Amino acid sequence: MLRSAKLRDPKYYINRELSWMQFDERILEEARDNSIPLFERLKFLSITASNLDEFFMIRIASLKDMKNARYKGVDIAGMTVDEQLQELSRVTHDFVNEQYSTFSRMLLPRLADEGIRFIKHHEELNDKEKAFVDEYFKDNVYPVLTPMAVDSSRPFPLVRNKSLNIGALVRTEENDIEFAMVQVPSVLPRIIELPVQEDGIKPVILLEEIIERNIGGLFLSYNVICANPFRVMRNADFIIDEEEASDLLAEIEKQLKKRQRGEAIRLECESGIDKRLLGILERELKIKDQDIYYINGPLDLTFLMKMYALEGFDHLKEKPYIPQFPKYMNPEDSIFDQIKDHDILLYHPYESFTPVVRFIQEAATDKDTLAIKQTLYRVSGNSPIIKALALAAENGKQVTVLVELKARFDEENNILWAKMLEKAGCHVIYGLKGLKTHSKITLVVRREEEGLRRYVHLGTGNYNDSTAKLYTDIGFLTCLDPYGEDATAVFNMLSGYSEPAMWNKLSIAPLWLKDRFLYLINREAEHARNGREAHLVAKMNSLCDQDIIEALYAASCDGVKIDLIVRGICSLRAGIKGVSENITVRSIVGTYLEHARIFWFLNERKEEIYCASADWMPRNLQKRVEILFPVENPKLVEDLKHILRVQLQDNTKARVMQSDGTYKRLTPGRAEPVGAQRTFMKEALDNAKGDEDTRNNRVFVPEEKK
Amino acid sequence: MKKLFAAIDVGSYELSMKIFEFGKKSGVKEIDCVRHRIDIGNDTFHTGLISPRKMDELCDILSGFSKVMESYKVTDYLAYGTSAIRETVNTSILLDQIEERTGIKVSVLSNSEQRFLEYKGAALRSDFDDHIKQGAAFLDIGGGSSQITLFSEGHLVTTVNLHLGTLRIRSKIRDIEPVYSDQELLIGEIVSNELDYFKELYLNDLKVYNIIIIDDYLSAIMTQVSSRPDGHILSRSYKEIMKALSVKTTYQIAERLFIPEENASLLIPSAIIVDKVISITGATDLYMPGVSLADGIAYDYADKKNYIRSGHDFTDDILSSANNIAERYGAFDSITKKMVSSALAIFDATKTLHGMTDRERLLLEISAILRNSGKYVSMSMPAEVTYSIILNSEIIGISHQERKIIGTVAKYSYPNNISYEAFDIYNFSEKEQIIAAKLTAILRVATGIAKNVDKTIDTIKAAVKERELIIKVTADDKMLLEKGLFSERCDTFEEIFGITPVLRVIKK
Repeated sequence: MLRSAKLRDPKYYINRELSWMQFDERILEEARDNSIPLFERLKFLSITASNLDEFFMIRIASLKDMKNARYKGVDIAGMTVDEQLQELSRVTHDFVNEQYSTFSRMLLPRLADEGIRFIKHHEELNDKEKAFVDEYFKDNVYPVLTPMAVDSSRPFPLVRNKSLNIGALVRTEENDIEFAMVQVPSVLPRIIELPVQEDGIKPVILLEEIIERNIGGLFLSYNVICANPFRVMRNADFIIDEEEASDLLAEIEKQLKKRQRGEAIRLECESGIDKRLLGILERELKIKDQDIYYINGPLDLTFLMKMYALEGFDHLKEKPYIPQFPKYMNPEDSIFDQIKDHDILLYHPYESFTPVVRFIQEAATDKDTLAIKQTLYRVSGNSPIIKALALAAENGKQVTVLVELKARFDEENNILWAKMLEKAGCHVIYGLKGLKTHSKITLVVRREEEGLRRYVHLGTGNYNDSTAKLYTDIGFLTCLDPYGEDATAVFNMLSGYSEPAMWNKLSIAPLWLKDRFLYLINREAEHARNGREAHLVAKMNSLCDQDIIEALYAASCDGVKIDLIVRGICSLRAGIKGVSENITVRSIVGTYLEHARIFWFLNERKEEIYCASADWMPRNLQKRVEILFPVENPKLVEDLKHILRVQLQDNTKARVMQSDGTYKRLTPGRAEPVGAQRTFMKEALDNAKGDEDTRNNRVFVPEEKK
Repeated sequence: MKKLFAAIDVGSYELSMKIFEFGKKSGVKEIDCVRHRIDIGNDTFHTGLISPRKMDELCDILSGFSKVMESYKVTDYLAYGTSAIRETVNTSILLDQIEERTGIKVSVLSNSEQRFLEYKGAALRSDFDDHIKQGAAFLDIGGGSSQITLFSEGHLVTTVNLHLGTLRIRSKIRDIEPVYSDQELLIGEIVSNELDYFKELYLNDLKVYNIIIIDDYLSAIMTQVSSRPDGHILSRSYKEIMKALSVKTTYQIAERLFIPEENASLLIPSAIIVDKVISITGATDLYMPGVSLADGIAYDYADKKNYIRSGHDFTDDILSSANNIAERYGAFDSITKKMVSSALAIFDATKTLHGMTDRERLLLEISAILRNSGKYVSMSMPAEVTYSIILNSEIIGISHQERKIIGTVAKYSYPNNISYEAFDIYNFSEKEQIIAAKLTAILRVATGIAKNVDKTIDTIKAAVKERELIIKVTADDKMLLEKGLFSERCDTFEEIFGITPVLRVIKK
């Protein structure tokens, strides 16, 4: 068989959805890890739930779309759409069972040990508590409820996507049985603390239990036969028809409204749900057996994130880490002067994101700044960056902002502040036709004494000051001309002008990036074929592009040592003889979401290191505007290599892929335990402390009298 | 603060703008470049008009350019249209519309002005003169035609405009609809036909070592493909790259070089032209400085405003190419030389009377150099032929309008040929008419002095004394004939300047 044909054999690939499920399982492992503080485990469990929700809405939904369109193709691992859906149904059902066994068997008992009584059913309440919750219901809940009953004259009500509802069967005065429901209001806290018991134990109950207890009062003229909570997930991924939509904005607003009514793809209900009630839901939602999940516990575990916020349990949480001031910066001098002095590397969240915000704030009020250009993908609710951009426009700077409206789930939010920016006088570009702008780049043009100077920020993460505290990302600040020229060209392209004749430093998707990656991998393979030592290390979130994987397999066969640090999906199989025996794959799951993309190539000891906004996924390389940028300052290169090295040494939070595609968690054994995230936190703290010392040392201290 | 300047090129298939920063020390530095592909050439070449839809697009983009200028706080700009704008039937109305709608004032460049600016963009680079020290060819490939300028020992020899342009070749080929394997052959044949004449007539024994190339697509690609990023490439390596590309379809080339297919289809003719020029000249080195019209506009502006000190002597180029034309037509003789020095002596002596600048002095000099060229073709009507030769010869650095002045001056310097209406018929502005008339008057006087090949004139001095222009000539002859016939050459001069030229001969 030709090598290329062999290396494309489906058996050497893992289906991306199943691989993603493995990732969620790794997070679930954290929730099950006894060595982790209890409340952190709640948080991890909550994350697995919200992840799974998104997975259903996007991935399962898109598979269902393909099924509806009678798509006959197979995926990278040779699976048809039906095979994937079937396998996923099995895997997700198992996963959900695992989630709830974690919750009920591991976490609830531990919570009880810590003095928290989680009241599963309202029937367990004592009289005093009953009075308390009824009072709470009357004052807070009842006014915002909208009970709905269905009869022949009223259509089945809209069940909103992801909302938690209580379905009920009621008997009318005419002795008919009818369906009724009420949505558990999302505006109220899901978890309610009851008065602390005399023995100091804190009871908590979920909102739906309180409603269920009082359901009789909602359907006064009826007799409630049964009431059970349920939750529906709908198809949320939509393809915007840009050819027809003359106004992208209007189209997205329209789609958002439609999203509520998408096809139901998952129904969750209490395991003991009344059969007749379930029958009605099945019929009305047109849902199949394999898409129904019987839940043994509270629906929608994302409430655990709220539980994490309960006060008085700090001893059960990780000590909060405060992002430190970056080691290559000082808070006194102008950011522009500092960049002019040296390139700056930022490693979030170990190092604070504030300098990036300050970079824009300073530009907004700086008299020499002519223009600010930025791409925005997801920003935080009350973003200081947006405020700074608006201020800059009001100060007469030319502000160009590319706002990506197609950022999943964030459209509503994005439209709002995009309009606000426009009002402030910014030039807002609403994305590009057919492409998502995922690159993270900012350009500040200043007119200085010595001439025009361009300051560029490039990053692997969004310009979002909230997620910058949770995601690990690399930021890079420079005013070197080649980067400045390229950044200018990027924004020219985004503004609709032709591509530049050449790039100095950057590689841009969808046009050049994939070729660039393939070139870099193949170059390493060529070195190996020439008998030279060849090695590459790549860190990213997901790896599922077949061309890239094939190139990696080929490089491995040629003798290139390949170490991959892939947080999420990885369709590549590591350690297969004759295919990938020189490839290792590891995934790190920790307190922070691993998000930085770093690529290092030995290149005959003329090593090159890059950071990027893109993963090795087809969507990043072909459907998005992404940027890959090299870091060349020797000091910063060492820093990036250090990050990779420590991650490869991690033996506490790292899972290594086995040749059968499963992941095995590493344990330090007798070796020194290394936790990458913990190491980076400590280093950032040490650096910041060192800074303080030097700063303090500038004060003259009189010698003490001996 | 350094000066920021924008250069806009309204080209036949692309609109582009470059922003430059000028500094006394740093010279010309490109800051930004925005381009937009728009095929207005197709409209105007066929209909002479720009369709309303294209016009909207054109104005939208230009308005965008004006915003970009604003963002840099650019104070000065120059915007030029080339052949597509030039060939509109309603050019002035069109330009007025553009200005009304976008605020940008676009002027039109003639082919020779455009070529000169491009040439200037390359020639003003500090290393240009090193490249022409030995024999060199400067090849400017355009959409409709290409221009080759030859240099020998640092001096310009000749400039020739060839009907070989990328668009022109592509559309010729498309008419034939060849299969891919024949395409390269056909283009090669078209190019060879044209270049063989060029070789025969202009190249002669000239040794060309270096070819300096300006074009829209090839340069960008070659700098990426070749191992040296500074635009230098050996002819040998170029031929190898060509070989690698030769069997591929446009689509494959586009894919291989990672460029839009449209560019690839224009790149192929460019590449073949270069290939053939290498073959006929035997040049060993290529240099692609990557200069565009916008660069030329900026360098020209910076040069005129003294932001850069040019190492290259453009006047020398002009005179050297005029001399070469004269030589080609057997007019590069002592009469011509005498005529040139007489004319210049008179010009210099009468500065206070005519008030003309060095530029007009240069035009006069060229008129004098070329004045006798027509005799090569026709002894009986040299004036007409001279005019035709001048109008149809490329002199790099001279605008089309200037070329007409030169031709007119040379033509009417012949006896019995003049009438004032004559200056009216060439589409001259009033100012140009006056310049042409004044220069004609001067050249006519000068022709009265230089008549005989055998007579040696040592010095010619001219000075105005009261109502006379005294021209003192030191020669080896009494110059009786010249003196006798002198007055008939002075009528126009007297009319225009109000003084009488007097010829005084001192025999050694």
